[in-house]
Amino acid sequence: MAKLKSVLGYSVAVLSIPIMIAAVLIWTVLPQVGIQFVSATGLKHSANWSGGEVVRTINHGTYETRVHRMVFDALIGERSEGFVQVAWSPLDALPARIDEEIDADGDGQADFRVEVDTANKASMLTPYTPWVLGLEGTYRLEVVVLEGTTYRLDDTLAVRVRLKNPSR
Amino acid sequence: MTAPARTQEGSSRMPIWKAVLLTLPVVPFASSHLMDELTSGEAQLITIIPTLLVWILLTVFFFLMLVTGKTYRYRSALFILVAFALPVYLIPQFFEAFGTNMLTEEMTLSARAKFCPLTMPTVLLPAILKRVVVFPGFVVEGALWFFLWLGASLAVGRGWCSWGCFYGGGDEFFSRLRKKPVIKHVDRKWRFLPFAILLAIVLLSAVTFHPIYCEWLCPFKVVSEFEAPTILRTQVSLGIFVSLFIGLVITLPLLTKKRIQCALFCPFGAMQSFFNKINIFEVRIDPAKCTQCKRCIRECPTFSLDEGSLESGKALMSCTKCGQCVDACPQGAISYHIKGTPIGISPNVARVLFLYPAYILLSVLGGHIVAYGLWRVLKLITTGSMI
Repeated sequence: MAKLKSVLGYSVAVLSIPIMIAAVLIWTVLPQVGIQFVSATGLKHSANWSGGEVVRTINHGTYETRVHRMVFDALIGERSEGFVQVAWSPLDALPARIDEEIDADGDGQADFRVEVDTANKASMLTPYTPWVLGLEGTYRLEVVVLEGTTYRLDDTLAVRVRLKNPSR
Repeated sequence: MTAPARTQEGSSRMPIWKAVLLTLPVVPFASSHLMDELTSGEAQLITIIPTLLVWILLTVFFFLMLVTGKTYRYRSALFILVAFALPVYLIPQFFEAFGTNMLTEEMTLSARAKFCPLTMPTVLLPAILKRVVVFPGFVVEGALWFFLWLGASLAVGRGWCSWGCFYGGGDEFFSRLRKKPVIKHVDRKWRFLPFAILLAIVLLSAVTFHPIYCEWLCPFKVVSEFEAPTILRTQVSLGIFVSLFIGLVITLPLLTKKRIQCALFCPFGAMQSFFNKINIFEVRIDPAKCTQCKRCIRECPTFSLDEGSLESGKALMSCTKCGQCVDACPQGAISYHIKGTPIGISPNVARVLFLYPAYILLSVLGGHIVAYGLWRVLKLITTGSMI
């Protein structure tokens, strides 16, 4: 038994060398493994950073509006307060001023109106519903997006609007 | 009666020819940065010189570890070098890309923060349960760190903290500056603090979906990147980072001669302690040789040996396998050991088998940082700018 344990011990000790080599090879020269891992597991950024999945895209010709899902994410259940992100991406160019009514919950009714001065990154919010609490910020975002196994740089102007969870 | 020298019975010293042969497998890893540079097609003298220097340094130090039988002094020198090279390596990268190392909210929302292994305890639970990454860095980069961390943790356990961590050399440096400690007694109950912090940040990060340790507690934000102090929250957190850095990385290590940040605060280190339980390598004390002089207890920089260790012959689970006690024991009673094998039989084999994965980790991770850090310094000297 002691001999068997000894042989097993030495075997595992020797095995630790290729394990370490594999780990450093993946880290240094095999980023494809990381990409495949992320694609296979479906790992993605927390909506706190990404704004959550896009639920509606409105094409305006020279630019498009992307309305993200309302974010109330929690480990268990939902939070009482959250936000919705609305982003504008240039297809050709963004206009100097954007004035748009947004339906955040997808019920066909506008929930707020947002006016954006695109050059100065300044926004104004007009809530139409009591659960729209206010403007969190206006941001110029440059996000590297992994689509399948390829990268794309997503350049957008976005606002985040603070919300009270309408279902609570 | 004088104590038998470590270099007599149970000697770790090795003939030069044998040390040369055993150094050869490490050469490719020590030179990987040089190979990258030479095959990049953009090799210049200013990049080849530092990578060549690092290659020579890493190879020579491994050879010296083998030939002298001493682990700690060579590991420690490299470990400290890595920690000092880190800000020189990292901060100019941020200035190059963004013009600052202070992350704005836009940069955070654009996921431009840099992943580091210390994020692991905060990201693992939400990643497993919800498949979301609660850190504003590039997810693929996080996945690559995950593989490196997992492989290293399986291969060397908490050895990560003395061979792989690019921050730990900071408090190790300050813990080595004084000959004698000013504060001689540190209550050993403090050893439980990192585990409490680990539990707290894992739960809080999972509940809030925010990397709590990175946002509030990481002292090493000071030598990397941090959120721009534009609002009260980020101003307070910057104050915490600076205070923790001065207290845990500089002052307390200087006063106690211990790696206080690593031993009594770092939650990542606490997590690594659990990997020591499954890792095949450990540090053992041979009761037949031990004279209970307790020098190892005094010398251990991470409070990983106590009276109980001398009785049981085992280091505590927080042992970072730094080699300090192994080198310091005048009886040669302490050695690297492979679990399941007899104590005191072929300690050199166990040591060399441990040194390979540990040194590969140090060479690839630390060598990369030192080589590019040196390149930045050379660039500063030759062009007047690091960027």
